[in-house]
Amino acid sequence: MTEQQPPRLEMRGVVKTFGPVVALDSVDLEVGRNEVHGLLGGNGAGKTTLMNVLYGLYRPNAGEVLLDGAPVSIGSPRDAIDAGVGMVHQTFLQVDNYTVTENIVLGTDVSGPLRLDLGEARERIRELSTRFGLTVDPDAVVEELPVGVRQRVEILKALYRGARLLILDEPTTNLTPQEVDDLFGSMRAMVDDGMSVVLITHKIRETLSVCDRMTVMRDGRRVETIERADTDADHLAQVMVGGSADPGDLIDATALGAVDAEEVETVVSSVREEIGVTAQGLVVVNDQGHELIRGFDLDIREGEIVGIAGVAGNGQVELAEALAGVRPVRSGSVQVGGRSMCGLPTAAWLDHGVAYVPEDRHRDGILPTASITENLVLGSQRSPRIRKHGLIDWGAAKQRAVDAIEQFSVRANGPGTPAGDLSGGNIQRVILARAFAHQPRMLILHNPTRGLDLGSTRFVYEQVRAATAAGCAVLLISEDLDEVIALSDRVIALYQGSQAGEWPHGSVDAYEVGRSMTGLGEARV
Amino acid sequence: MSETMTPAPPAAPAPPAARPTNRVVEALWLLVPYAVSVLLAFVVGGLIILAIGRDPMAAFESVLTTSFNTRFGTVETLHKWVPILLCAYAFAIPLATGKFNIGAEGQLLVGATGGVALGILWSDLPTIVLLPCVLIAGALGGALWSGIAAFLMVKFNVNEILSTVVLNFISFQLIDYVASHVWPDRGAGHPATVRVGDGALLPGIGEAPPFHSGVLITLVLVVAIAVFMRRTPTGFELRAVGANLRAAQVHGIKTSRLAGAGLVVGGAVAGLAGAIEVAGVHGKMLEGMQSNFLILGIIVGLMSRGSMLALPVVAFGIAVLEVGAGSMQRTAQVPVEMVLIIEALILLFLLLSDIVRAKIRGQ
Repeated sequence: MTEQQPPRLEMRGVVKTFGPVVALDSVDLEVGRNEVHGLLGGNGAGKTTLMNVLYGLYRPNAGEVLLDGAPVSIGSPRDAIDAGVGMVHQTFLQVDNYTVTENIVLGTDVSGPLRLDLGEARERIRELSTRFGLTVDPDAVVEELPVGVRQRVEILKALYRGARLLILDEPTTNLTPQEVDDLFGSMRAMVDDGMSVVLITHKIRETLSVCDRMTVMRDGRRVETIERADTDADHLAQVMVGGSADPGDLIDATALGAVDAEEVETVVSSVREEIGVTAQGLVVVNDQGHELIRGFDLDIREGEIVGIAGVAGNGQVELAEALAGVRPVRSGSVQVGGRSMCGLPTAAWLDHGVAYVPEDRHRDGILPTASITENLVLGSQRSPRIRKHGLIDWGAAKQRAVDAIEQFSVRANGPGTPAGDLSGGNIQRVILARAFAHQPRMLILHNPTRGLDLGSTRFVYEQVRAATAAGCAVLLISEDLDEVIALSDRVIALYQGSQAGEWPHGSVDAYEVGRSMTGLGEARV
Repeated sequence: MSETMTPAPPAAPAPPAARPTNRVVEALWLLVPYAVSVLLAFVVGGLIILAIGRDPMAAFESVLTTSFNTRFGTVETLHKWVPILLCAYAFAIPLATGKFNIGAEGQLLVGATGGVALGILWSDLPTIVLLPCVLIAGALGGALWSGIAAFLMVKFNVNEILSTVVLNFISFQLIDYVASHVWPDRGAGHPATVRVGDGALLPGIGEAPPFHSGVLITLVLVVAIAVFMRRTPTGFELRAVGANLRAAQVHGIKTSRLAGAGLVVGGAVAGLAGAIEVAGVHGKMLEGMQSNFLILGIIVGLMSRGSMLALPVVAFGIAVLEVGAGSMQRTAQVPVEMVLIIEALILLFLLLSDIVRAKIRGQ
């Protein structure tokens, strides 16, 4: 009975460098049989890199990998699959107009080169999906499926190929709370069936609810491997951020996903009486001419944060751009500070104090080859604040950039550093510095903390609170439901371009929001 | 929340001290590839000259020294520098917004046509009136020509590379018509117009042989363009559009109108080059006067990598090579085309250096 079985996976002393950057510094990892193992850490901790090494996407500089006690050499994802390792990435590689079955068998040996008989495959998929609770119709065309189901397809793909060890990279990012529960249920079923699962995540709450053990990583090193029974949220938070952070800080904790959003006390609300922004009957089309926002009404008071919760692709980008004056509206009206804005050029919106922090920082937010100074000037180059005798006063702009770098703690060599050379978090700091430079009346934030490390996330939250204290009306559009619930004075669910529910701060039920986000909610306002 | 806004304690004096060395390193990263590329181009060029059985050292000596040994060479170099540089601007200014103007020679020819027309029609007017008219007509002619491409681009989304190239061909027909039917000089033995009035000629400067005052106009333009690109809101917007079109749009810049404006300004500069060629060098318009300024302008524009400050310097270097080419053929019997090969090699090595630099610095 005490016969020692080797663990499912052992990684020993794995080193991976990219040029001068050490991404993995002699990392060990052990994953047992029948175990959900959490791989926990902030952004850039090395979690995904370590798993990409295991999956054959990166070649390690040193270290060895053992599966079921036997050393293996994995040089490509093909090798990994043959060795029984499957990985589900954050972005799916699927052929949109193929069915679920076709996507799953793609790249496997199905019958002969001329004859394609999918009947057998369809049966296997059906069997796998019932066994693990991964409900999906094998004949559905993939492009018509929601994100949560497409993820199941991806998991089935790995199971179909005989994975005994399944790696899930931040799988809950785009899921509703219900879908997260379903996914965790499936993971349990898999380990009960003899498999092992590695869950890459930065959310403490998730690891606590589903993992048997977790390994915490920081700065490319393994910090500690902990049994679920021996830890709690505070302890994990402390291990994750090291000695530098104070896990008692509520904002900090929500950033970690460690605290249920409802537990957050109402932070001193700065909501004022005056209406800051009014939008009525907004109809907005995307670049292809499809109506993605269909009759949207919105009031934001001065100093209020209104959060928009929704699954990506329900009109968030169009809503944000319409309210920022970047995208013309087809019909409806927008008033900011009592002034009707529709039909005015984008520059007029900027002048009127509408600041937009776009979702895609690199594409919409910065001039990559231009210096920080120039990026901070962008948008106000015609304003008298910037100009002296009609010409841009670069001396003064540089001085302001130096101040902004200090105030917003941008890590850069100086104001002349090209913005494209900065890390994601520092780019976001530059964008925020620009947004806050001229006392905005209205601030539109779209996924403001996606991909940011803890420090930067906390920084963003602080800045948003400072802005509301000054009376700014804030619209927070985010796919991170925890973030929306924790920060917002009011939460609105967005489903297919319309409002699907509204909740004041403190009485938000994440499951109810989740249902509304997917069109199942009853609470219509 | 006010604690978050508290400024940090005064920073240690370390960063300012570190900056100069940083700047030197950055400058080296910028300049070394140029030096290496030029050197390699000459080495490869030298091998080719050896291969055709000529003396590379003699060839290079005459290429590099002609511009400086004689007054005639110097004047010739300055006269080449003007159209090469202006055509480089015509390429580089629209490129700042991400648009490729491959029509500098058409714009130059139409500008020359505008200049020559006034110079002939109003030939009795005095310099003080006529010369500015000729130059302005040149700039307007070039702007009109690139304006067609700009209009098509902004209104109908017609690709500017195609339209500017096609407009070049039309301009050849145009000057052929003007030089053979409108104001033909029957005695020239080559399609050319009659001479413009004396009032249309750019005054010479210095002892014989003098260089024409178009050189000074160009110098003023160099400063004006640098200030325009660097200090004016419009110049900043041009650069912003080139750096990231989407971000520029999101921040309130009307990108397509601006790209169109960049093309028009580029055309105006090329048109001015045409007028200066008429008023300063030829005194008339003749077929073939566009020489290979289009291609040289593009080479200079690409070598300068968007730096308006580098353009005049690089253009001067190319002008030196171009002037040296003729004497190289005479003294070393190496065909003039060798110089174009070397110029192309410099550009190739420079582009290659980007990859090498990225490798060395580690991405």
